Amino acid sequence: MDRILNLVFTTDFISSVIRVTTPILFATMAVLMSERAGVVNISVEGAMLISSLMGVVGSAYTGSAWIGLLIAVLSGIVYSWILAVFHLRLNTNIVLTGIALNLLASGLTVFILFLLTGDKGVSTALPSKVLPNVSIPLIKNIPILGNIISGQNFLTYIAILSVFVIHIFLKRTRLGTYIRAAGEAPEAVETAGKSVKSIRQKALIISGALAGCGGAFMSMAYLSMFTKDMIAGRGFIALAAEAMGKGNPILSFVVSLLFGFADALSNNMQLLSIPSEITRIVPYLVTIFALAIYSGRDLTKKKNPI
Amino acid sequence: MKKIFAFVLVASIMLLVVGCGGSQQNQQGQQNSGGNGDLPKVACLLNGNLGDKSFFDSANAGMKLIADELGVETKVIEMGFDNTKWEPTLLDISEQDYDIIIVGTYQMQEILEKVAPQFPDKKYIIFDSEVNYEEYDLQNVYSITFKQNEASYLAGALAAMIAQDSSIGNGKKIISLVAGMDIPVINDFVVGYIQGAKDTVSDIKVAVSYIGDFNDTAKAKELALSQFDLGSSIGFNVAAQAGLGLIDAAAAADAYAIGVDADQALALMETNPDAANKIVTSVLKNIDQAILRAVQLHIEGNLPYGKTEVLGIKEKAVGLADNEIYRKIATDDMIAKVEELQKKIENGVIEVMTAFDMTSDEINELKQSVQP
Repeated sequence: MDRILNLVFTTDFISSVIRVTTPILFATMAVLMSERAGVVNISVEGAMLISSLMGVVGSAYTGSAWIGLLIAVLSGIVYSWILAVFHLRLNTNIVLTGIALNLLASGLTVFILFLLTGDKGVSTALPSKVLPNVSIPLIKNIPILGNIISGQNFLTYIAILSVFVIHIFLKRTRLGTYIRAAGEAPEAVETAGKSVKSIRQKALIISGALAGCGGAFMSMAYLSMFTKDMIAGRGFIALAAEAMGKGNPILSFVVSLLFGFADALSNNMQLLSIPSEITRIVPYLVTIFALAIYSGRDLTKKKNPI
Repeated sequence: MKKIFAFVLVASIMLLVVGCGGSQQNQQGQQNSGGNGDLPKVACLLNGNLGDKSFFDSANAGMKLIADELGVETKVIEMGFDNTKWEPTLLDISEQDYDIIIVGTYQMQEILEKVAPQFPDKKYIIFDSEVNYEEYDLQNVYSITFKQNEASYLAGALAAMIAQDSSIGNGKKIISLVAGMDIPVINDFVVGYIQGAKDTVSDIKVAVSYIGDFNDTAKAKELALSQFDLGSSIGFNVAAQAGLGLIDAAAAADAYAIGVDADQALALMETNPDAANKIVTSVLKNIDQAILRAVQLHIEGNLPYGKTEVLGIKEKAVGLADNEIYRKIATDDMIAKVEELQKKIENGVIEVMTAFDMTSDEINELKQSVQP
């Protein structure tokens, strides 16, 4: 136990938590944006995968990480827009369309990779660029805390910033209010003479841009390459994080951090003499416990209405 | 009007289908007449995709060698990672006119045990795994397994020497390994690596972490970073494509890496020289040479079907990659020591433990004994 504590209270461990959390956080915010508009967007995983590849391809051919990021974000938007067209215009089932898009992403990325490089697994043949880490002047000189707050990847700051921007956006802006209304009372929106579909489409486009950032983080910050199916379920974990966060950006952020913490803990626990079978269940155990506590609290609330 | 339109549509689709079917038959006919009468037709079914820069690519290279050097008609089929497709594909190919069908990995073992007895006229070769000859009638199957433990022993010895030498590593005497899954063939690498390290530097510590799959490259990087944070000087990746995460981590943490299956430094040298220069060596599994040898023996009529052959350092089926980076990083003493150990393994002076003969408890005990 002492050794676990020693492990947890290090700057390396906290950096690890931040690294693990960033892609989950982007995905969670992407899910949240669409969910609040009343669309269950399970294709975030696929959108992230497509954008992780397109970011690598874009940066390799243009020689600029920033243009790569832009292309990744645009690919995320396009992919989300495809979902919007199918679901909102052609009235397909949202879950089935999402599954189809996820499967398509897995195959399409390998196909594009093969066309461009002749490889089917990894993009190491493409000289892709990496997004820089940002060191913040003044703060970086603070002992211990400086190492944690400063020196993270550019996209990590964007991810954290996005939480608060989305929080304000949903509460304070006109479009944000419409999006919430489209999710909570679509009939009311229709009655007010606004198109629910057009609002949902806008929400999905924002969701796609966030997924695009998440994808770009995976292949241009976390790793320096694209590998087949590299998102590895992070888009689905986001669905759980958003559900546990009850659609609240701040709460969802805390839940993503919890998932990131559990994952980093499980990675580090393997270094102690704990069998990997046990350490691998830690993230899921934490999830179940958190859910149990959460729904327990909900139950007591319902029993004693204010 | 609608009905007539529908009829025309159906008729044209039928015509199209019939037309296609006809041309397909033609193609097959041509292939048959084109094949050489004496030489076998060889198909290789890969239960994954090409492009992993190691395992399956090596098998593909072997099939190219077979086609080029032996003039045999070959076909490589990628079955993908969906394991429900593997058995039907193997059945399909067995029903076609291929003489030798090559498959690989432990995941194909059970499927082959089921399929091979149904086609006694066909010959099967399975690499990197062996079928159960005692329980099933598998006189038409030849199994190749590799002594990856022997090459890993050398890798462990080299890693331990690097970690001990504070002018190259950090002198903390910790080395590490990131593995894909906790399965026998992967643990065979682990066991050899630990034994090699322990035999060379007795108080060495070895950190071992498992990803849980062979896909999650980011997780591999995270695991490797936590090992390097702990003080490991050099990490060995045994996780196919996901293992690239460890190489990425080594470049980020300014530590060293050991590649697997193919010479990974060679594969990365052009686009990512920073990472490639951190790959001291790679544990090679020469699948290409092994299947070339098998098909060659088949043509000569000497391939012992119904048996398993275990190929090791002696048969040149496994070994360490010897390249410029290795010569640059390792000192002359280290290179000499590795060569000496290699000779000892070839002569049988050193016997390397294998995970296939050990229980999980014994493997865990070994891992515990070097826990940092």
